[in-house]
Amino acid sequence: MSALFLVVILFIGLAMGVPVAISLGLASISTLLLFADQSLLSLAQRFFHTTQIYPLLAVPFFILAATFMTTGGVAKRMIDFANALVGHFRGGLAMAALLACAFFSAVSGSAPATVVAVGSVMIGGMIRSGYSERFAAGVICNAGTLGILIPPSIVMVIYGAVTETSIGNLFLAGMLPGAILTIAMMITIAVIARRQDLPRQPRMSLKETIHAGWEAFWGLILLVIILGGIYLGIFTPTEAAAVSAVYAFIVAVFVYKDIKLKDVPQVLTESAKITAMLMFIIANAYLFAFVLTTEQIPQIASEWIVGLGLPPWGFLIVVNILLLVFGNFMEPTSVVLILTPIIFPIATQMGIDPIHLGVIMVLNMQIGLVTPPVGLNLFVTASVAKMPMEDVIRAAIPWLMVLLSVLIIITYVPIVSLIVPSLLGVL
Amino acid sequence: MNTGVRIRNVLNHIEESFMATALAVMTLLTFTQVVLREFGTGWVWSLEATTYVFAWLVLIGMSYGVRTQSHIAVDIIARKMPPTARRTMGLAAIILCLLYCGFMFYGASIFVDRLIVLGNNARDIPLPRWLLIGIMPVAFALLAYRFIELGWAISKGKVKGLSAEHGTAAATNKTPNSDQS
Repeated sequence: MSALFLVVILFIGLAMGVPVAISLGLASISTLLLFADQSLLSLAQRFFHTTQIYPLLAVPFFILAATFMTTGGVAKRMIDFANALVGHFRGGLAMAALLACAFFSAVSGSAPATVVAVGSVMIGGMIRSGYSERFAAGVICNAGTLGILIPPSIVMVIYGAVTETSIGNLFLAGMLPGAILTIAMMITIAVIARRQDLPRQPRMSLKETIHAGWEAFWGLILLVIILGGIYLGIFTPTEAAAVSAVYAFIVAVFVYKDIKLKDVPQVLTESAKITAMLMFIIANAYLFAFVLTTEQIPQIASEWIVGLGLPPWGFLIVVNILLLVFGNFMEPTSVVLILTPIIFPIATQMGIDPIHLGVIMVLNMQIGLVTPPVGLNLFVTASVAKMPMEDVIRAAIPWLMVLLSVLIIITYVPIVSLIVPSLLGVL
Repeated sequence: MNTGVRIRNVLNHIEESFMATALAVMTLLTFTQVVLREFGTGWVWSLEATTYVFAWLVLIGMSYGVRTQSHIAVDIIARKMPPTARRTMGLAAIILCLLYCGFMFYGASIFVDRLIVLGNNARDIPLPRWLLIGIMPVAFALLAYRFIELGWAISKGKVKGLSAEHGTAAATNKTPNSDQS
């Protein structure tokens, strides 16, 4: 009963256009006041407590690093390098856009940030080179979702914080699936390029390629610093994020000199704004998860699902469907916060590895990012490409097939997610 | 420019500078901690200070997000509605937001009140906890003020809804420009 009330209030709020954060908060507060013996005092305490959770401190730092990298021309150099590598193939510019998204994902933990960084240059570039507007927007919109799969990833930070799973291991686990998804999309582009006879770029000489690689080096090395530092125990994931932010600042201001010191406050304000917006949602999603727990909804759901006698693979189908449905209506962080307390205990009981489950959740969230009505990447692509929302949706849909195929592989072949951490001996 | 507008501009400016400074302080504190550890030393108060600065950043940022219309909201239904119905629903949404602010303001006030009675200090920072957490009711009051402002703009027809058109401002990392919407 209380669960139904909670969800109904949430969806009424969302449908009315109340911000996602407040819809979550209001649903939680009203359910607690009506059905449980909880005071507003304890809610306020919990709200405040969210900002004191150590792993979540990584969120603002990763956002700041990505903002410096976007404004500071790191993204542009990555695009140049990607172009030098694959531009000469048929459909090369689209491949370069995809590869640039993968590169940028390795310094940014957010999918919309990746779309902005690469899309603002590449969508226009592709259209000028004779690609259809729809094809250009579809590539960027979907390739941008790599931002949360290839480490660092804000969604993984959240999942790690909630389940107390090692964020470092999650980062390592995301690498191979990220590479597989990139390759799958690359092949798709190659097939379409052949059929539509898409143009090639002139081939770069080896010298030019090496030069472009050297220019992009300062950005690309960041992933090595992050993963290496965490793996060697030099710093925690949160500290790694702060180091990334300082590093990105130094590279943008002193190495590339694309940002002047006087522009730094603007970068800070912009990043702080995104941080606050995201943390406001996270804090309220924590309240929501708290209500679920006090109402014992995870236990009820768990008993019900275990009672169905589903095998692990059947359970994973249910998980995928649940995540896809919620992913359509909310952005990734709140979905992870709301559904993890329900899914995680059952999955552990069924012997599904927490790291594997984390990667499955991230991939589902990627699909949520490109499906209406609340696909953040759709919104961002529409604004970057200056296209109507409806056209972007139509452009993005065919690519879902690629994402879904990779999701099936990741879900049913756990080794893909687990091999990198286990080879490194951390699992 | 009348005094009201001028005061509001000052408030806006303080908001922005505060958020930028808070983020810079958090980052530098955490970074310094990593460097100091390499030399086998460190500041005990650093982590706690970082989390409180983070809390202030988030709390102040909530209302900044309303002003810049950067909170994510689902506007797919609203955009299909005729203008009058859309305005009515926008105002109803504002009322729900104000309700939320009221609840949280009340809860936060009791929280701070309890802390004043307890009177204890934070773990590593020599400041009373009520002072550090006292920002919370203030922040929710400020949030309510921004929603009233936005509600006023909606009723006057200056703004269409709670989130920017297409909700784009929400998650973009665009070249920063301090939008004065």
